[in-house]
Amino acid sequence: MTDTQSLIDQLAQESALPARNPLSLFALPIIAVIALCAVGVVLAFSDPFLSVELYGWGPMLVKWGFSMSLLLLCAAALWILGKPGRRSRWAMAAVALPFVPVAALLAFELAIIGPNVAGETWAQCLTAMAVMSPLAFGGAVFAMRALAPTNLKRSGAVAGLFGGAVAMTAYAPFCPEIGMGYMVVFYCLPMLAMTLIGWLTGPKLLRW
Amino acid sequence: MSNNADALDSLMQAARGGDQGAYRQFLAEATGRVRAMLARKIGNDSELEDVLQECLIALHEKRHTLDPDRPVGPWMYAIANYKLVDHWRKRGRSKVVLDDEADMAVDADSFAQVDIAALLSELPEAQAEAIRMTHIEGMTNKEAATRIGIGTSAMKLRVHRGMLRLKEIVEEQDQ
Repeated sequence: MTDTQSLIDQLAQESALPARNPLSLFALPIIAVIALCAVGVVLAFSDPFLSVELYGWGPMLVKWGFSMSLLLLCAAALWILGKPGRRSRWAMAAVALPFVPVAALLAFELAIIGPNVAGETWAQCLTAMAVMSPLAFGGAVFAMRALAPTNLKRSGAVAGLFGGAVAMTAYAPFCPEIGMGYMVVFYCLPMLAMTLIGWLTGPKLLRW
Repeated sequence: MSNNADALDSLMQAARGGDQGAYRQFLAEATGRVRAMLARKIGNDSELEDVLQECLIALHEKRHTLDPDRPVGPWMYAIANYKLVDHWRKRGRSKVVLDDEADMAVDADSFAQVDIAALLSELPEAQAEAIRMTHIEGMTNKEAATRIGIGTSAMKLRVHRGMLRLKEIVEEQDQ
């Protein structure tokens, strides 16, 4: 009997039915890091929704609309990327969609009032993004390792973007700034940096 | 191909329904399909069975990533392809590095006093044939690979392994 034949016999002794539910394996770390970041910002920062009191819900909805749609699209893309043989191009295109209205609003703001990236709380925003993005990225990596990603760079990049989206979603209620230029510089650029880190480290972290 | 893919689908469906024999048949069928795919990409090299076994283990361990309503074929080939690329990556990091120039630049005097035919007869036929074509007949790796219908990488690997083995044999004889 060849080694391969004996391997088949050995594997066939176990059930073909997966012992694990892939959705729960994937979702648990994702939900855990979102919850961790939510609890973290509540403990670390004060005066949530100050921008709502000052300017109404508009700026807050722009921020959350962007970050939450990105978070959900990234989670869906990660799920697809973790299933071998599934086409992921449309999912990759979908994660870019939330950036389109942001670019349009930025262009509008530039046309009306010119460049506006100033904000007193920029250091706090950057710190929050720098602390929570890698944490959420780690959760996404953990979730992906339960699946079987075959495109590790792409999966790593989406995991990085997911990390940034979670960080922004968690921190946004505590950010009083409202400019689109500010949002692009202090939220979108750190997100893209995390995406690049994910793209570079994906092949090492997600290998199975 | 579609019949084979259908066979895989129905076998997996039956296996997931609790038919253990169907799972064994599924693994056997998958082995044949993946072996054929690997043979096209790396030739019938000695490493084929290693990669094949890695693929089988991966198919088994990652079976929870196969959606019940999706065909098995694309899932299975995606995993097999990933494992093959991973295998190449690992080999790239190991001491076995394919170096065309080093393998081709063997000093002509190195084997001047030995019986080449006798030496080559001690190698596996595939490696001996590869060295014959590239070092005696003067073909490039690509030309030799095309002639016998394997990939250039597989040809490079055969030449490389053959040359390493030849060197060992000559050194053993010198001692």
